[in-house]
Amino acid sequence: MSRQLLTGNAAAAWGARLADVDYIPAFPITPQTEIIETLAAWSQAGELPGRFVTFDGEHSMLTAAGAAAAAGARTFTATSSQGLLFGMESLYTISGWRVPLVLVNVSRGLSAPITLGPDHNDVLAARDAGFVQIHAETCQEVLDSILMGYRIAEDRRVSVPVLVNLDGFYLSFTREPVDVPDEAAVREFLPPFDFEHLGFRASRPIAQGVAVLEGATYSHFRYQMHRAIQNAAAVHAEATVEFSRLFGRSYAAIEQYRVEDADTVLVMAGSFAAKGKAAVDQWRADGRRVGLLRLRVVRPFPAAELAAALSGRRAVGVIDQNLSPGVGGIFCQELAAALYSVPDRPPVLRSFVTGLGGKDISQSEFDHVLSVLDAAQSGDPVTDTELLMTAAEWQQVQGRLASARRPVEDNAPLPTDSDDVRAAVRAEFEDARGGVS
Amino acid sequence: MRVKREHFRSPKDLPVVEYVTPGSPLCAGCGGLTTLRLMHKVLGENVVVVNAAGCMTLMAVYPFTPLKSSWLYTTMGSAAAGAQGVRDALDVLIERGKLDAADDLQVLVLAGDGSTYDMGLSATSGAIHRGLNFWYLCYDNQAYGNTGFQMSAASPLGSRTATSHSGAVQRRKDIFELWRAQRPPYVATVSSHDAVDLAEKVERARGLNGPKLFLSLAVCPTGWGFDPELSDEIAKLAIETGVWPLKEAVDGAVRHTYVPNRFRPVEEYLRPQHRFAHLFEPQRDEELLTRIQQNVDDYWAPVLAEPVANA
Amino acid sequence: MIRIRFHGRGGHGVKTASRILGTAAFLAGFETQDSPVYGAERRGAAVTAFARISETPIRERGMIAQPDLIVLADDTLLNDPAAGVLVGQETASAIFLNAADPAPLVAQYHIAPPARAFDVTARTRELLGRPSALSAGVASAAAKLCGCITEANLEAAVREEFSHLAVSPDAVTKNVEIALSVFAALEPAVLSDVPRAATAEMARVPYVDPVLGASTVYNSGNAEQRHTGAWRVERPVIDAGLCTRCGLCFVECPDGAMSLDATGLPLVDYDHCKGCMICSHVCPVDAITHQPETAAW
Repeated sequence: MSRQLLTGNAAAAWGARLADVDYIPAFPITPQTEIIETLAAWSQAGELPGRFVTFDGEHSMLTAAGAAAAAGARTFTATSSQGLLFGMESLYTISGWRVPLVLVNVSRGLSAPITLGPDHNDVLAARDAGFVQIHAETCQEVLDSILMGYRIAEDRRVSVPVLVNLDGFYLSFTREPVDVPDEAAVREFLPPFDFEHLGFRASRPIAQGVAVLEGATYSHFRYQMHRAIQNAAAVHAEATVEFSRLFGRSYAAIEQYRVEDADTVLVMAGSFAAKGKAAVDQWRADGRRVGLLRLRVVRPFPAAELAAALSGRRAVGVIDQNLSPGVGGIFCQELAAALYSVPDRPPVLRSFVTGLGGKDISQSEFDHVLSVLDAAQSGDPVTDTELLMTAAEWQQVQGRLASARRPVEDNAPLPTDSDDVRAAVRAEFEDARGGVS
Repeated sequence: MRVKREHFRSPKDLPVVEYVTPGSPLCAGCGGLTTLRLMHKVLGENVVVVNAAGCMTLMAVYPFTPLKSSWLYTTMGSAAAGAQGVRDALDVLIERGKLDAADDLQVLVLAGDGSTYDMGLSATSGAIHRGLNFWYLCYDNQAYGNTGFQMSAASPLGSRTATSHSGAVQRRKDIFELWRAQRPPYVATVSSHDAVDLAEKVERARGLNGPKLFLSLAVCPTGWGFDPELSDEIAKLAIETGVWPLKEAVDGAVRHTYVPNRFRPVEEYLRPQHRFAHLFEPQRDEELLTRIQQNVDDYWAPVLAEPVANA
Repeated sequence: MIRIRFHGRGGHGVKTASRILGTAAFLAGFETQDSPVYGAERRGAAVTAFARISETPIRERGMIAQPDLIVLADDTLLNDPAAGVLVGQETASAIFLNAADPAPLVAQYHIAPPARAFDVTARTRELLGRPSALSAGVASAAAKLCGCITEANLEAAVREEFSHLAVSPDAVTKNVEIALSVFAALEPAVLSDVPRAATAEMARVPYVDPVLGASTVYNSGNAEQRHTGAWRVERPVIDAGLCTRCGLCFVECPDGAMSLDATGLPLVDYDHCKGCMICSHVCPVDAITHQPETAAW
């Protein structure tokens, strides 16, 4: 084992290297590019026995990755943002083949408007693609999750691909100390891929990805993907025990931070959870009983663990770094569903969205979240997702909006400027109803 | 006039063994299936077919496959990339001692013109650029056949399709030249009608390492509108009228492997096909018929002018 | 509600038949649905289409497993279990057979519902000169059996549906003629509303190993188990005396449904031959003849 200062991208490259992958199809995209550049350099230096090949785009790259895995090669690939969306068809294709591989996604906000900062809308667009999905908080966790990913994906109780997510910039370009395990220990944790049931060979022809034109059989295959990903929960737990024994680090599906006696709990995912923990520490120092749950394994969704961990709490605030337009924060929706049948579910559940396109989150915003949760009473109607933004940030935004207008229009009102269009529409509706009755 | 044949002289020389079993749900009289079957005979049994969405995708409908070889259905837009993944995996697994070298396979992309000319072009161009050692069979029936015969970039001038009721007005893409522009070692046109020419080309290409295109005019009774019995006749007329030149390009150098001694009028090829019926009824579209003939003549003029005409 | 299920082969026009019936019922003022089922199947392969006719809004969708009427355009489909012609015949009040005499078919295939018959193929051949497009005749048989469609509605529906197809005015007229002659020759069926059983046991689907959990076929070449021979309209028959053993027919068979014996004589695999007849066309010495495949033709 060696301890090195590594970026999240370099940690991802180390994960692939230690997994002794056979094949790395690649395509550059910010902020993932450093991963493939690192692997390319190792490959050219003869330090990587697997084959590194650059492609013409992510759709091709991901198809090749899946095809190589279908042929029996241990395969690693990485992408980000638009690349993940461009390859989306291939994601569904290769999970349908039930082939194991590890795909790293470096989160970045989606276009339009095109941007570079991170948020989770890219990776959550793939949440139904039939991949196990693990979100890392630290560079160490990126490396470790890739090793665990192969072990989970290659287990025949699972046999679907694993996606490991890290946040662009906040992890991808940030160096922090990482324990790089010894190869021998990794070999013990991750033996060579036994692809007996897959693979194309002259001595045993098979047809993979065959069309299914009958609904019941198709339902069976799709349902198997669901069951396979559900199985990944137990396989992940087993892998965690072994990983902890060999490397001394342990990962649960959800990380519980200072929740023992908490009456109020924040739920977050990814690298911003570190900031959430800092906020929790500060509130704890002030005598508040607040904790944090970090979603690490997103698929299979750890509904039972979340329900158990949140049962009996007074208030839960979900801080989503994503936005499903027309619904709100995605994790809040999924958590609400998980809590539905819990008898003593928290009476207060609130949804907050921040960090889109890499927008930072400050202690003031955390404090605001806590004050909203404190003020909320049991039985209050659940309000809309709240976008967290400080007044100073909003002022800056308004300055930029003003710069984009032609000077002559500067003071002209726009037709639909409103503090709350929905409220206005509702008022009109109420008026109309009043008029009728 | 025919180029000298080295490996196969008559249909009797073709291998008798079959690697595509009957029982597939493809249309009766499918020219694309004939081409695949013949090509596979010459390639031998050790093949993995990497398929793009199209008519041939329905060769293998669960729980059946007509192939005695292997198959991987990919997507419409990325079969060549799938071929790359399989080829690279076989190479690296053999290199690393994880797979017996005797288990190696030849990788064959099987794609229609919709995938080949349109959606899959980026993935294919990438595979050619990387020098991928693979075979590519395009069964070109000149439209999106599997969805009910809509216009593709391969639809010829005047062809009626479900999305070009009065006939395609564009010039079809010259995919042979698009491939050749990247200088792969082998690019050929073939036809189900000339099995010997097809077999000969497979044999000639066998030793070449890199991308090898076989562009087959896949006569299509269903889409083109003729009795399946005429499949071979239509394929023959395409060759004899000069509409479908049989040729190959080795490292970019083109030669025609068959030049009709006397070109038959293009009309003879067009007339039996319902997709061109509007060129003849209710009245002859003289202008378009002349243009179609002229395009064929213009193609052949420089070929025929060559001093040693492809001997 | 009357639930009608049509069976035929690609090219017979059963989809058009279901549309003609649907249009006729619509013109008659009924609530109606019609739909085909699309699969991988091609010209010559089994095709199914459906129609529902009701006086009240239709709360059903999709395939009809328990029909009131079964309309069969090609009795060779009775040999193909996958075509499912007789599935749900317990609830059917009648079955229409495209044949001059239904009795032998009823006996051979244990057909339960009362059978009505008319040789639509013969009538179509007589008027159109070719037997393939049976839609007008088959739709007309269904319309008459339903008992709620008038001749005028039927004629209007035939004209309406054929106007969407690229056919000549003469062909439309002849199809109307076919439809009306079939309509006149049949009597309405006695429709009885047989109760539909609805107590199926539920399965619990377990996790299975990826070998059976993905659409992978390990049994290479097993498509041979699927017999496509029933697609044939005509059968190629080889005259061994005339055959020169040139092998062209063997080479040009798309499906590989031909083999060569030790002497080089081609043999047709009638279990699989789809009847494209390319072999006959390419034969340089006309040693392969066409023979009509079944009584239905």
